[in-house]
Amino acid sequence: MKPVILWSDALIFLLVAALVLFFWRLRRDPQARERWRQVFASRLGMAAFTVIVAYVGIALLDSLHFRRALPPPEGVTTDEVFYDNQVSSVLDTLTAGMGERFERTYSAPFALRSFEKQTLKDDAGNTVRDFPPLRHAGANLDDPADKWGDVARRSAVALAWGLALAALLILPQWWLLRRSALPWESSWWVQGVLACLAVWVVSISRHYHVLGTDLGGTDVLYQSLKGIRTGVLIGALSTLVMLPIAVTLGVSAGYFKGWVDDVVQYLYTTLSSIPGILLIAAAVLLFQVYIDLNPDAFPTGLEKADAKFIALCFILGVTSWSTLCRLIRAETLKISQLGYVQAAHAFGVSHGRILARHILPNTMHIILITFVLDFSALVLAEAVLSYIGVGVDPSMGSWGNMINGARSELSREPAIWWTLSGAFLFMFLLVLSANLFADLVRDAFDPRTRLGPEAA
Amino acid sequence: MNQQADTLTLEGLSVELAETAQALVKDVAIHLRAGEIFALVGESGSGKSITSLAAMRLLPDALRVGSGRALMGDTDLFALPEARMQTVRGRRMAMIFQNPMSALNPVQTVFRQVAETLCLHTALRGAALRDRVASLLEEVGIPDPRQRMGFYPHQLSGGQQQRIMIAMALACEPEVLIADEPTTALDVTIQKQVLELIRELARSRRLAVLLITHDMGVVRQTADRVGVMYRGRIIEEASVASFFDAPKEAYSQRLIDALPGQDAFLPPVQAPPLLEVRDLKVHFPVRGGLLRRVQDVTRAVDGVSLTLARGETFALVGESGSGKSTLGRAILGLEATSGGEIHFYGTRIDGLDRGARQAFRRRIQVIFQNPYSSMNPRMAIGAIIAEGMLSLGVEASENRREARVAGLLERVRLPAECARRYPHELSGGQLQRVAIARALAVDPELIICDEPTSALDVSIRADVLTLLAELQREDGVAMLFITHDLSIVPGLAHRVGVMRSGLLLETGSAERVFTAPEHPYTRELLAAVPRVKR
Amino acid sequence: MFAYIVRRLLYAIPILIGVNLLTFVLFFVVNSPDDMAVSQLGAKYVTPEAIENWKAKNGYDKPLFYNQAAEGLGAVTETIFFAKSVRLFAFDFGRSESGRDISTDVRRRMGPSLAVALPTFIVGIGVNICVALMVVMFHATRLDRAAVIVFVALMSISYLFYIIGGQYLVAKTWRLVPISGFHVDGQVWKFLLLPVLVGVVAGIGAGARWYRTLFLEEANQDYVRTARAKGCSELAVLFRHILPNALIPILTGVVVLVPMLFMGSLLIESFFGIPGLGSYMLDAINSQDFAIVRSMVFIGSILYIVGLILTDISYTWADPRVRLS
Repeated sequence: MKPVILWSDALIFLLVAALVLFFWRLRRDPQARERWRQVFASRLGMAAFTVIVAYVGIALLDSLHFRRALPPPEGVTTDEVFYDNQVSSVLDTLTAGMGERFERTYSAPFALRSFEKQTLKDDAGNTVRDFPPLRHAGANLDDPADKWGDVARRSAVALAWGLALAALLILPQWWLLRRSALPWESSWWVQGVLACLAVWVVSISRHYHVLGTDLGGTDVLYQSLKGIRTGVLIGALSTLVMLPIAVTLGVSAGYFKGWVDDVVQYLYTTLSSIPGILLIAAAVLLFQVYIDLNPDAFPTGLEKADAKFIALCFILGVTSWSTLCRLIRAETLKISQLGYVQAAHAFGVSHGRILARHILPNTMHIILITFVLDFSALVLAEAVLSYIGVGVDPSMGSWGNMINGARSELSREPAIWWTLSGAFLFMFLLVLSANLFADLVRDAFDPRTRLGPEAA
Repeated sequence: MNQQADTLTLEGLSVELAETAQALVKDVAIHLRAGEIFALVGESGSGKSITSLAAMRLLPDALRVGSGRALMGDTDLFALPEARMQTVRGRRMAMIFQNPMSALNPVQTVFRQVAETLCLHTALRGAALRDRVASLLEEVGIPDPRQRMGFYPHQLSGGQQQRIMIAMALACEPEVLIADEPTTALDVTIQKQVLELIRELARSRRLAVLLITHDMGVVRQTADRVGVMYRGRIIEEASVASFFDAPKEAYSQRLIDALPGQDAFLPPVQAPPLLEVRDLKVHFPVRGGLLRRVQDVTRAVDGVSLTLARGETFALVGESGSGKSTLGRAILGLEATSGGEIHFYGTRIDGLDRGARQAFRRRIQVIFQNPYSSMNPRMAIGAIIAEGMLSLGVEASENRREARVAGLLERVRLPAECARRYPHELSGGQLQRVAIARALAVDPELIICDEPTSALDVSIRADVLTLLAELQREDGVAMLFITHDLSIVPGLAHRVGVMRSGLLLETGSAERVFTAPEHPYTRELLAAVPRVKR
Repeated sequence: MFAYIVRRLLYAIPILIGVNLLTFVLFFVVNSPDDMAVSQLGAKYVTPEAIENWKAKNGYDKPLFYNQAAEGLGAVTETIFFAKSVRLFAFDFGRSESGRDISTDVRRRMGPSLAVALPTFIVGIGVNICVALMVVMFHATRLDRAAVIVFVALMSISYLFYIIGGQYLVAKTWRLVPISGFHVDGQVWKFLLLPVLVGVVAGIGAGARWYRTLFLEEANQDYVRTARAKGCSELAVLFRHILPNALIPILTGVVVLVPMLFMGSLLIESFFGIPGLGSYMLDAINSQDFAIVRSMVFIGSILYIVGLILTDISYTWADPRVRLS
């Protein structure tokens, strides 16, 4: 086995590490701690957070890439190890080859036969047109009629294993957190359900296509799982690119005022006056041209797709900083007038120190709220961009590409609904969790929305 | 005794948090009688505003009435369905609030707002309605009411806004008027007029008034009876005259004593001058026209000269918008000056650049008005106090800094463990002590105190002022004390300057200005100060 | 007021120049006029002369931004950037790379775009405000909490699914309207009904939630308590006091979008086959037609700036406290 580290892999691990560090440091701030407690004191917040962590976990697993060592060719004895050209991820291993069981074309969930008729030869050698049996699904069955019985038996076994896994997962947490006042049970419920689902999916999909297959015969469930990494990364990396630009410009505009403010305002008015989609499309197309002109820089298809992906994140980040910048500028203007900044001026505290100690920490809530809100917006944007044809590379699994490939198939008779459903379910769950979580974060951190009784 | 029936009776009222049932107001009984002003006095958090809101059944969602009755005649207001209660509000009971600017709907004209009350409860419409509104505005002393009816609230002054509120409340001739800190947001001269208006209306209309206030001076001058509220209970109730002569409760005595005396003055200080301000001007440009040229200027400070001796306290008195705070900020170098000179120990310090100014930062310090916004919520108290030392290089080693922070906390009488606490864990009074410690940390020779006590409760205010005076005696630091509150000046300041519209109208020793004011405006200000001891 | 608008329009000029500069830089970072000529002429016909001819014919035979050969002002004016930009400022968009006149195309496609976008916009705001008001009436009850979660759920569904789902249900399953298409005749509403419906429904989640927040923010203001103290019923408080005040932030958020309605909606138009500016843009992106993209960026920027000015003007109308100077 030989590890392969793509640029996006490195970035996502870096980002997750940075986030963990950020929250760790935040723990020391009693006010922030109090507000986080408020977020997690809600059952909904706890559940949404658990779902998000699960998604991020899958994305991380899917970001550990490697190339399998191939057994040496027959009859050749050499110390040299050959590696598979195909790059796999840990997730591929965990799903037990779900992505390698290709069919010929469309097939419905749990179907044993293909969706389209084909010219076949029957046992007697006559040519008939019928739905051909699938290569993998139900291969273990002696009698196709026993399908649902088989599914039920396997589900029962999977459920038992799932419960065992859930217990393994939850018991140590229960031991560690038994004195916590937060509603961890909500998280444990979600964890339990997710664990059971995971075990069930992996074990059932060894013999069936749980969500059917798509035009190219790939398992839809597998594609949806692969879409997780793309979705999570696009949300996280784009925000990562956008934050420093928005924060630096916003804070300097609000703090230094004068010509700095004029320049920053000019920049963001100009940027936001360009229809966003055109700007993104133009930039993505231009990067495509760049790739075409410099084919040597990206030797493998995967690397090319990865470069395109990072470029997309970069472009999304660079084109979307104006809103946050405006918010931070306004907040900085407000904070600059407050007593503690004035007092710092009176103490001759340097600009850098005022910015670092007084202004930045007090704009954190805006940054945080924007980070969670933008995350879900970007996941949704990816689907639209892929539809327009300026999204992620078609070779890279993404929900947008799935929707794009299947958008007109609902009009077929009977309708092919499973590809869309798969993308919908996975995307909806992530965006919903992120949005619900963002809502709670905003309620806790935005002083304007805290609607408490005013003390008399 | 008075056999007259009560207009409104609150009996055994308790108000609690809806979620935890924790009681904020406990077993309160109030009897309001026609033509009488009952003052409910207490410090912030005592529950006085909650009591008044409960009587109107206007409590915020998080609070609810736990038990008790509110009787008007035979009807218990707490038992009425909400629809019936709506016919009581505005019709039989009316209310005015602390901040008239925010209590008036900003996008409706004065006429519409006053007329709304009338439309809700009477059949008046059309021309008759206009006449009624106009006569109401006239009654509350709005000049030229027909024209002002078309104004929006922001086009009126604070005093006029509160008069509009009163007109709105009185439109349907209610029996009860609840006034929740009606003058706290107003300047003293305006406060006096508004209080007189309320008093006059109570007499002429036989209104029963519940006046909520924290200001003993206001009680003394306006109310007939007084109830003292402390931690959700009325601990003492008496007629105003007997209350001020012989309060029964120690807490009431403290509230009365908290108002500084008006007759003991500090002697003038004989010392070399420390700060000299000569003909100082601070003008803010007003831009307009096509190219945003400076078309005019707002003259915030327009030619002020004053001197301050070492160890002296100079009280700069003025109402809001007089330019007193701008002057303080200009001396601190936080505001660019447009003319004149500022000398500190004979060195000119206005117009210095950041680097050159640094040498004077240590020697001139500041305490701001709002203790909550003048502390970074994300820094521990110790770090807040040490910040100045760090940037001005007062104590180089960390150990020495920590020791000094501990010493300072002790001097301002805060426990040493405060250093590890955060601002939101401390009360306003404690925070203002921290602000004092922060200023003292760099051994200044001059402290600009910008309304340091106006956000504090009276009893705490007295403590902070005493502390400041004590520190001045010990360290000999000079203070420029900016305030709108004349009552705290005697006993605090050696000299006084009165400011209005950017001009310093009168300066002199505190005794001279208080006993023989020269400028008519000073006399007006002095007359408006509510006094406890007559 | 007049001086204010003139100043804002003057301020728009540097912004438009900046926008143009950005699109130019973006385009010519990777493309050179030679590349353009090659791709237009087709690889077969590429000769140095043909390239030069093409460049001369299409005005790409000058330096991009700075002409060292020219004298004085000419150093700036005799460039591709200047030549192409000045014509934009005169609203002369020239020809697309497929040779069609862009101005004509834009004018022709504006109508269908508006026909979809305007009803969506107006009905959408109406529906959102009504839904939000209804929820606010039940503030702090279970219904309110449930509604917020529903709003968030609606927000979490991709726009694409609204379109696909709408087409599947309304057009395919129920056969109420055609799936897509656009004919200008008496029955044009048939083609507009579904896109407008989809647009409105897709906007409810985010819109109603935002308005609810605005209403609640206003509901906490002091003047609302004053209104209650006057004896106003809850409905009167909501409609007479909260709504007019909440209109101010709603206006700022909404008016800026009004001019943008001309641009149409990219997704709706392409899915429903409406020949508007949205699908025009999409086609331009797919065929990589720089002339169209540049023109649309320019038009979009102008509309955005007009939107900003309209926002300020609407402010003075909704909020008596604001005066433009």
